[in-house]
Amino acid sequence: MPLLSRVGAGIVALLRRTRQEQELDAELQQFLEMAIEDKVRVGMSREAATRAARMELGSTAALKQGVRDVGWETMLDTAWQDLRYAVRTLRRSPGFTTVVVLSLALGMGANTAIFSLVDTLMLRPLPVSHPEQLVQVLSRYPGEPRLSSFSWRHYEHFRDDNRSFSELLAVSRVRLRVTGDGVEREAVDGEYVAGNFFRMLGVRAALGRVVDDQDDRLQSPTAASAVVSWSYWTNRLHADPAVVGKAILVNSTPATIIGVAPREFFGLEVGLRPSMWLPAAMEPLLQRPSRRVDGSLGVGILGRLRPGVSIDQALAEMKVLDRFRLEDFARSRSAAFARDFTIELEPAAAGFATLRDRFGTALLVLMALVGVLLLIACTNVAGLLLARAATRQHEVALRVSLGAGRARLARQVLTESLLLAGMGSVLGVALASAGARALVAIILSGRDFARLQQPIQIHVQPDLRMLLFTATTAVLTALLFGAVPAWRALTAAPAASLRAHGAAGETRSRRLFGKMLVVGQIACSLVLLSAAGLFVQQLSNLRNQKFGFQRQSLLLVTLDATGSGYRGDQLFVPYQQLLDRLAQIPAVRAVTISAVTPISGAGASRFISVAGFPESPDARRFVPLNWVGPRYFETFGTPLLAGRDFAFTDRGGPPVAIVNQSLARYYFGGRDPIGGRFQFVGASGSGVTNAPPDQTYTIVGIVADAKYLDLREAPPRTIYLNAFQEPRMFVNEVALKTAGHPAAATDAVRQAVRDELKTVSIARVTTMDDVVDGWVVSERVVATLSSFFGGLGATLAALGLYGLLAFTVTRRTTEIGTRMALGASRADILRVVLNGALGLVCAGVAIGVPLGLVSRRAASRLVTELPVNDLRPLVFAIAAMFALALLAAYVPARRAARVDPVDALRQ
Amino acid sequence: MAAEPKPSTLVQGTLHMLILKTLALEPMHGYGVGLRLEQISQGVFRVNAGSLFPALRRLERDGLIAGTWQATENNRQGKYYALTAQGRATLKRETKDWEQQSVAIARILGASLGEL
Repeated sequence: MPLLSRVGAGIVALLRRTRQEQELDAELQQFLEMAIEDKVRVGMSREAATRAARMELGSTAALKQGVRDVGWETMLDTAWQDLRYAVRTLRRSPGFTTVVVLSLALGMGANTAIFSLVDTLMLRPLPVSHPEQLVQVLSRYPGEPRLSSFSWRHYEHFRDDNRSFSELLAVSRVRLRVTGDGVEREAVDGEYVAGNFFRMLGVRAALGRVVDDQDDRLQSPTAASAVVSWSYWTNRLHADPAVVGKAILVNSTPATIIGVAPREFFGLEVGLRPSMWLPAAMEPLLQRPSRRVDGSLGVGILGRLRPGVSIDQALAEMKVLDRFRLEDFARSRSAAFARDFTIELEPAAAGFATLRDRFGTALLVLMALVGVLLLIACTNVAGLLLARAATRQHEVALRVSLGAGRARLARQVLTESLLLAGMGSVLGVALASAGARALVAIILSGRDFARLQQPIQIHVQPDLRMLLFTATTAVLTALLFGAVPAWRALTAAPAASLRAHGAAGETRSRRLFGKMLVVGQIACSLVLLSAAGLFVQQLSNLRNQKFGFQRQSLLLVTLDATGSGYRGDQLFVPYQQLLDRLAQIPAVRAVTISAVTPISGAGASRFISVAGFPESPDARRFVPLNWVGPRYFETFGTPLLAGRDFAFTDRGGPPVAIVNQSLARYYFGGRDPIGGRFQFVGASGSGVTNAPPDQTYTIVGIVADAKYLDLREAPPRTIYLNAFQEPRMFVNEVALKTAGHPAAATDAVRQAVRDELKTVSIARVTTMDDVVDGWVVSERVVATLSSFFGGLGATLAALGLYGLLAFTVTRRTTEIGTRMALGASRADILRVVLNGALGLVCAGVAIGVPLGLVSRRAASRLVTELPVNDLRPLVFAIAAMFALALLAAYVPARRAARVDPVDALRQ
Repeated sequence: MAAEPKPSTLVQGTLHMLILKTLALEPMHGYGVGLRLEQISQGVFRVNAGSLFPALRRLERDGLIAGTWQATENNRQGKYYALTAQGRATLKRETKDWEQQSVAIARILGASLGEL
């Protein structure tokens, strides 16, 4: 019989089930009657014949089932029956169902949420051709995060001389001001790309064409071209199909839109979505002096390995090629500096590593935590199901002896488990997508990433792998905890179970297993709680460490004078007037301006040579520099320890400097640094100030140490120069100390800037608190989530304990009644139950503490600066666990103490 | 008396063939099929209802037999099964197969050393 008609017959059978049932009934009835008549004919009495015929026919129910089992639709049919049965049973115990479903949903939801983020940031390959062949070139200086930036001239050297890569591309982030006919003036994120960028990635234009090698020649007639992103095209260019050839102004330079990138292509870095890609050869048109021309443009490098070349072989070659770069460093900086630099290659199927580097560890830690949480959830569910199976043993035995097929019973139990798992996963997926969104929101709340000024957008989409992951977890869990009761239904001896009614089939080993589950949960929650405590402690240490400046009530405003028409040496007076005007805002206590704000992640540094302090070139260290206006130290709350502050009147006078305590101690030892003199050595990295190279500075003040580049460093030896004493004004960071919340002064500041400097725009407004928070985003994520997961785990463990105790008390009601009848007081009973609970908690703690200590060590290997020797989090976790356990034990204990001995014994 | 057919493929297949053969003689209701089998085999095969009805259902499902409701000898409604064309063809094929097999098996069982 062809498959199709067989399927058709099955469906018809399903629809006509009632008629078929009736027919079968009639057929059997007919069979029975004929059999009886035959027997009567050979001389039996009618009653005897009826009885004999019925016995021959056997159980009609089983027979009918046998007939029904012939078709495939019965499988579906019984599955549907089992499902309805499971729904009915579960509805009868809503508490049990809620706890199980919620446990599973939370465990799975948390895992899926974290996993989806891990997937998005770390696993999902870029939508380009053969992403697995992509490799990122990185370099490392000891003690610093990996550097992804190389100079253009080094890139060219790598590109032209290597034999490991079929292509090597360069890309450089840039902020662009874009306007045009029908395009509102707006600052957007863009990227300069090498001519081979799109070709190497195998990305074709959705519209028009992409940037090619021809566009990326210096002075190429097509250098002023732009490929816009799909989202820019749809959101800003109204998805205009005739956009190719459209003229726009990029930083006031005319350029032509030559194409639209495909929808799925977002660039090379998750989280950053550049709006347009420009040939690197366009940079000289926008930037003077050009860094592309002199080869100093900073670029990220991505290569495509040639077929058959391993990453190790490529690295060996790159190390040789890297000598060119290191020699460059040795010339421009120092041999010592160059010696310590190394080059690295990393597989980059998922794109550039910035976000991975930043959040990878946090996500791995969280993945481990939610793994433990899932363990607790599953243990909880397993414990609940086992207890339930124990109470239902009697019912199962009854059904077996009434003729229920064991396979069918086992299938019913499994169906129930799968239904629970199914509900759990549906809810879990919903929780996961909400959780992932919340997680992204927390991650993005650190608006300013150090060295990553662009706004971050992370799009977490559930993909097939993620759904598969959840489904697998759900089904595995269901099978795992569903198998035990199912197996029991298969093997239970009904007679024994029926007889042992009072004990509800509880054996000693099973009771022990139930207790072990609860102990395991307590131990796991303890690990989670102590980890959470550790991360919270770490966060608070980071936030409340000694910065060397006051982070509260500081408003930071970045001015942008590039399009203002002012030349650098014309800004001194307007800026001084602006500062005066800002100081008059009522909420402002002090105001200053500087080139660098602390811990902004950016800075300048030079080698110095101090008069009277001989130093070998190899021992030299870069000294961070900052150009600051008067009242800088007052505004930031950094104490001036000796000497004087800068003044506007220093302009025109001999060059002065203020140094911090560390520098004073290192270069001057016991001597008084005030009046000390130093010079800068070596080429200036930026040349922004136009100061003569042999300028000598005199130290006029000493300030306390303060952090400079980032939050985690020890304050370096630092030099402050007077911004108002340089030949050109280039500082743009205004800082205001306010009374009350700093953001409240924003409008007044904007107004003042508009009034005083009409053509200078405000590029960014933030607060020092936000900057600090931006540094600890991943720590905040881990601390917040680990606390949440810890609380959740502890709650689940408490629920597990409560369930076990409640079950035990019910089971032992008779025993408790007997004890009371024999003279035990209510307090005695209360104590017995609470002691039992305490025993479990103690066992859990005894296992959990070593586990917690081990996991702290493991965590400290992943996360540096964890306060692992601080035992307070562990103590807190133990105390919290005991408190929760007592709370969970109290309700059943009270119920036990209220048992009426007469009632209990009568049962 | 032979035991009820065990659900092995051979025996199950055999039961199907025997039912088809019974119905090839004349259309019959379920009870009649069981009775006829017992009579023809002189009590060697005794098929209980628990095996008979699923077998009938399977044959019907596979299109080898077709059931119709008709009046019985004593004027009740009964479901009579009759062979379809497809059933007739299957019976023919299976009978041939069976004869070949049984001849072969008989030959093996009856073999003496000299013949091998």
